Amino acid sequence: MNISRLSWQNLISNPLNTTLSLLLMTFGVGIISLLFLLNNQIEQQLQANLRGVDMVVGSKGSPLQLILSSIYHIDNPTGNIPYSEAIKIDNNSLVDLTVPLSYGDSYNGFRIVGTTHQYPELYEMSLKKGRLWSRSLEVVLGSTVAQIHRLKIGDTFYGTHGLIEGGHVHDEYPYEVVGIFNPSYTILDQLILTNTQSVWQVHNHEVVEQGHEHQECDHEHHIEESTVSGLELNAIVPEDAMITSLLVKFKSPIGLIQLPRKINETTNLQAAVPALEISRLTNLLGFGVQTINIIAFIIIIVSGLSIFISLYNSLKKRRYELALMRVHGASKWQLVQLVLQEGIILSVIGTVLGLLISRITLLTITLFAEHKYTFSSFQFNLLNEELWLPPIALLTGIVASIIPTVLSYNINIPKTLSNE
Amino acid sequence: MLQSQSINFSYDGIHQFCFPDIQLSEGEELLILGESGVGKTTFIQILAGLLKPSSGLLEFNGVQFHNLPSKELDQFRGKHIGMVFQSPYFVKNISILDNLLLSLYLSKNKEDKKRAIELLEQVGLGHKINSKPNDLSQGEQQRAAIALAVVKNPSVILADEPTSSLDDVNCKKITSLLKEQAASTNAHLIIITHDQRLKSQFDKSITL
Repeated sequence: MNISRLSWQNLISNPLNTTLSLLLMTFGVGIISLLFLLNNQIEQQLQANLRGVDMVVGSKGSPLQLILSSIYHIDNPTGNIPYSEAIKIDNNSLVDLTVPLSYGDSYNGFRIVGTTHQYPELYEMSLKKGRLWSRSLEVVLGSTVAQIHRLKIGDTFYGTHGLIEGGHVHDEYPYEVVGIFNPSYTILDQLILTNTQSVWQVHNHEVVEQGHEHQECDHEHHIEESTVSGLELNAIVPEDAMITSLLVKFKSPIGLIQLPRKINETTNLQAAVPALEISRLTNLLGFGVQTINIIAFIIIIVSGLSIFISLYNSLKKRRYELALMRVHGASKWQLVQLVLQEGIILSVIGTVLGLLISRITLLTITLFAEHKYTFSSFQFNLLNEELWLPPIALLTGIVASIIPTVLSYNINIPKTLSNE
Repeated sequence: MLQSQSINFSYDGIHQFCFPDIQLSEGEELLILGESGVGKTTFIQILAGLLKPSSGLLEFNGVQFHNLPSKELDQFRGKHIGMVFQSPYFVKNISILDNLLLSLYLSKNKEDKKRAIELLEQVGLGHKINSKPNDLSQGEQQRAAIALAVVKNPSVILADEPTSSLDDVNCKKITSLLKEQAASTNAHLIIITHDQRLKSQFDKSITL
């Protein structure tokens, strides 16, 4: 039997008080830690999906929406832009690479994106099985799509109009799976990629049907010649062909300074710079995080108060025990140690539980939300931002124990033993 | 040898308690009798080094322990003095056995679990070593309190009204137990009480 064991026994002998203090400390630390972890994951994820894209060009609307829909595929597109305009941008001497994106259809909630081979190259995708598409209506699946729908090479499926489940099924145009990507922990794991022509083919037909039934496939076709890498050479494109957006990488930072402004001022297109929009988004998120942080801090302070009340009350009941310990030969400092350790044990266990629970929560969120958001790596280590949580919690425990500690230090043995 | 000379004490500086001189050799027993309000508890707390006398001399084996600095006095008390109180006191969140082990730890004695268990068996609590203090009857608590006071083999056993709330049978048992334990370690035994039933059991007694 020693002071530490006695502190522990005192805590477990008051399960209600101890549980309340622990819960409050655990929640306080856990909420702050979870916020840090989520923030960290979101930032990592935002950066991982950016892949050096300097500019996104789409139709006029919210620039943030354009970025979210074109890079992260978590919002609706702002509209379509003429393919011919995309060619002009692709031909600009400041542009290094362009990737056209055309989407509007989905398969059970997963987006079907018409693009070029540059898109998977940009994300350094590798094929797990099969090959990339070589003609229309051939698709390559992201790993999550393949896994969830158990699709394999050679399987066919129909796309649904719209980006959510339950739209019109394009049942005249079966897509054929020709390849499956390895997991990349980017948004491409959740996309179905095909060539741009597939999207045009499916939708031009639909336009004909909606416009009127007898004008089937009466679009003029001509050959667009593109000399730059981004758009596919000699692609047969309808005259009024549209794409949803264009991802652009510049040869040098000069492009970033000149081209977005030029596009926004002189054309009907919208150019958005992901770096700026993402920084705006994280600032907005940061405000929310800060607010929740303040609430969590208040919870930690309340937990400190709870530790104080719990120690103070139990000390009032146990003061004759402390006097008895002094009679047995305990020094004043041993009594201080006894009380202080109870506060410290509560804050240390609360901190460890809080950090553990935040990680378990994040892991649970990751497992349940994998369909929508994939977290690239799971963080079990302490983040830099979290490093001050243990000292803060410890300090709370110590401050909460100060008054009870002083009381135990100054206990009047004869008076206490005579009054009992 | 334990002796006190001309011990005076005052709580308020006005009313003085003057206590008789005592002198006890090793293994000697002393019964101090007195009515309520004569300063019995005050005297025993002075003898235990818990209160500092206003004047006078307290000496144990040549050490004037009432003049020791606080920390050394704590150690002295832990090592040499075992106390039994009118209401038995324990650390209630731990078992009776752990209370005895805690007393050994605080008095810087070796954790002798075997001796603690033997002692509890001697006082008839061998079957309750793992019980919490609140689970014992009043008589059992008083016996456990005696085991707690003597577990560290103190040189002086001080008992403050140890029998006042007990019936005749238990009163006799507790007194015998105290005398046995003191005899087994050759300790000085001082019992302070108003309980006249004890008078016949002691050769040496004084009245306050």
